[in-house]
Amino acid sequence: MKNRVFLIFLITVFVLGFSVLSEAQKEKAPEKPSPAPAKPAVMGKPIIIGVPTSLYTPFGRDGLKAVNLAVEEINAKGGVSLGREKRPFKVVVTDTRDGEPATPTHDALMAYEKLILEQKPHAVVVGPFRSEFLIASMDLVAKHKFPQLGTIAQTPAFQKQFKTDPEKYKYLFRVTTDSTVPGMYLSRSLDILKKDFKLESIYVLYQDTLWAQAFSGVVRKHCQENGWKEVGYDAYAAGASDFSPGLTKAKEGKAQVIAMMWDVPLGAGIFAKQYVAMQVPALLIGFIPPMAAPAAVKTVGSEVEYSIAVEFPVGASLPLKKLPKTVEFLEKFKRKYKELPEAPAVNSSAYDSVFILARAIERAGSLESDKLVAALEQTDYKGVSGRIKFNKETHTAIFSDKDPNETGVAVVFQWQKDKKGQLIRVPVYPDFVAEGKILLPPWMK
Amino acid sequence: MSLLVYGTITSIILALYTVGFSLTYGISGLANFAHGALYILTGYSIWSFLNQLHLPYLIAAPLSVILIGIFGFVVYWVLLLRVRGVALAELIVTFAAGVAILELLMWKGFYGIQYSLPLFVRGGMKIGGVALDYQRLIVAGTGLLLVVLLYLFVHHTRIGLAFRGMAQNERTALSVGIESDWIGSLSLAFGSALASLAAVVVLPLGIMESAIGYEVLIYALAVAIVGGLESTSGMIVGSFMIGFGQVAAARYIGPKWMIIVPLTAIILVLAIKPSGLFGQFKELEERI
Repeated sequence: MKNRVFLIFLITVFVLGFSVLSEAQKEKAPEKPSPAPAKPAVMGKPIIIGVPTSLYTPFGRDGLKAVNLAVEEINAKGGVSLGREKRPFKVVVTDTRDGEPATPTHDALMAYEKLILEQKPHAVVVGPFRSEFLIASMDLVAKHKFPQLGTIAQTPAFQKQFKTDPEKYKYLFRVTTDSTVPGMYLSRSLDILKKDFKLESIYVLYQDTLWAQAFSGVVRKHCQENGWKEVGYDAYAAGASDFSPGLTKAKEGKAQVIAMMWDVPLGAGIFAKQYVAMQVPALLIGFIPPMAAPAAVKTVGSEVEYSIAVEFPVGASLPLKKLPKTVEFLEKFKRKYKELPEAPAVNSSAYDSVFILARAIERAGSLESDKLVAALEQTDYKGVSGRIKFNKETHTAIFSDKDPNETGVAVVFQWQKDKKGQLIRVPVYPDFVAEGKILLPPWMK
Repeated sequence: MSLLVYGTITSIILALYTVGFSLTYGISGLANFAHGALYILTGYSIWSFLNQLHLPYLIAAPLSVILIGIFGFVVYWVLLLRVRGVALAELIVTFAAGVAILELLMWKGFYGIQYSLPLFVRGGMKIGGVALDYQRLIVAGTGLLLVVLLYLFVHHTRIGLAFRGMAQNERTALSVGIESDWIGSLSLAFGSALASLAAVVVLPLGIMESAIGYEVLIYALAVAIVGGLESTSGMIVGSFMIGFGQVAAARYIGPKWMIIVPLTAIILVLAIKPSGLFGQFKELEERI
């Protein structure tokens, strides 16, 4: 009897404990994908926008938020003009979970096809997270014939696949960069480091996935052609959780710069903390979301100072004084969601993609896929991420580092202290957005 | 030198992952496949106590360990009691409970860089010219301390002696008044609390998300299978084999091959000596 009473007591304690945790967590529940227009002023049947993506990743989660924000704005103004009526956008979502290292591409494809068959979207935005999934999904999109405006997956293999049968794959568009673009931006930053500070040895580690292979490949080629000494060039599995071998190699090889390309939050977070813990005396540069996100100082610590990151395209998480549209978008985002996007990439593309789609529908005057594709090909849109026009041969948005009035653009920034001693992200490249210059850490002088 | 230092640290982390799993299996023959889920549930629990209830770390961490221990105890009486003795059913129940916990955490949005526990102490020192942060030293110290405390516990306390009695022969233990379900539930509670303790010291090294639960389970299984499921000494040897194997693989073949080491070790041991290097449970069957 005593045992039973004790057992009941324990169960009660456990249930109460878990209830307290659950209630406390409700205060910060994740954003639910159900946008409601600010004003229900729109008429007509909704135009369905599908968002099949990996909501586990900040890119998918914040991309969806950006889409919802854009949809809310468009619907608040009455919706999209189609013939004589105005029609609202309606967002339908499926979590493909393709950003999770253990998810097979086949499972992600099944989730995507379920969305297509059940929700019958007129178009898809954001789309696949993992590049491998994007390539696999191209046939699916071609089979069901609806426009897909991808804004996350970065592999240049997309263009290669597209060119194999442009007529078949014509429904696919990429509204964001491919990973060779941030690779090019990073290479330019390395040029500055070499020219201004005489740095010359580099260790590169990257996630062993398509987009990061392409990204790191561009950086490696640039380094080889410009006299950098390569201390190491290592691929890590996407599920890796220990980077001490690479960091040790960089340290023993006296690398002055460590370049990293990674997008899985877990691994990138562990790397960031490990880099700080192991006190590697090398300047960190690359795409490591936990060290580049607005909340990096809280997550990693003040050691983020001097680390350099590329944000692609502009407006993903860093407001740029010289590009007011980035400020405007991020202010709206923060007003609605109480915080800036976490990921320093692609959110602005997700936002722009909805407006690009809306204008294409209005130009086409139809939701018929082939007409919509023809209208999308004529896109010339000045958005948050720069001027978006599609390459006719590959349906990818054109990006460069020259002029945001001509193409889409990205930005390189460095964590520096402001006059009050607060760590802030200072844009350092290209010149048309720069608000400061790259600084060398005192321990490297 | 760095191979030695980081190999040792990696091995101790693996031992910490495994010790609770091995203890529970060694005493009650129960393979707790929810082990990894309980590990990461601890992280969620501490994070919630710190950030939602604003408790100090010194209260949040021990409270979480105690709660997870109680959780393990309750799981035994609520979920496992009726299938006790049916190994496959026990495995299915614990695995299902683990998946449920991990998916629940995923559904609650337990991922992203905001889920990070603070380091106990910032900074570090050099050992033989190799820079090592204080948190990893704490991990190593915890691992060593745990081995000593566990030895003292199982040799010099009444519950510890009862654990050993059960581990040696359940029927004989029953005949001298040791109640098997009571000891079984306590072993699960202790195993869960040990998983939780590992989480307290290891999780501040990175950021957290529910997927870590699967990784911890795989590592715990790999170490336990290599060393012998119920053997403490086997667990330690297995940890060091896989830990050093991983660091060496990263150094000499390439970091992306690190993940292959535990899986290869499992396959090799199952093919050559299925009971593990120090395991005895199935030794007789193997000989026959």
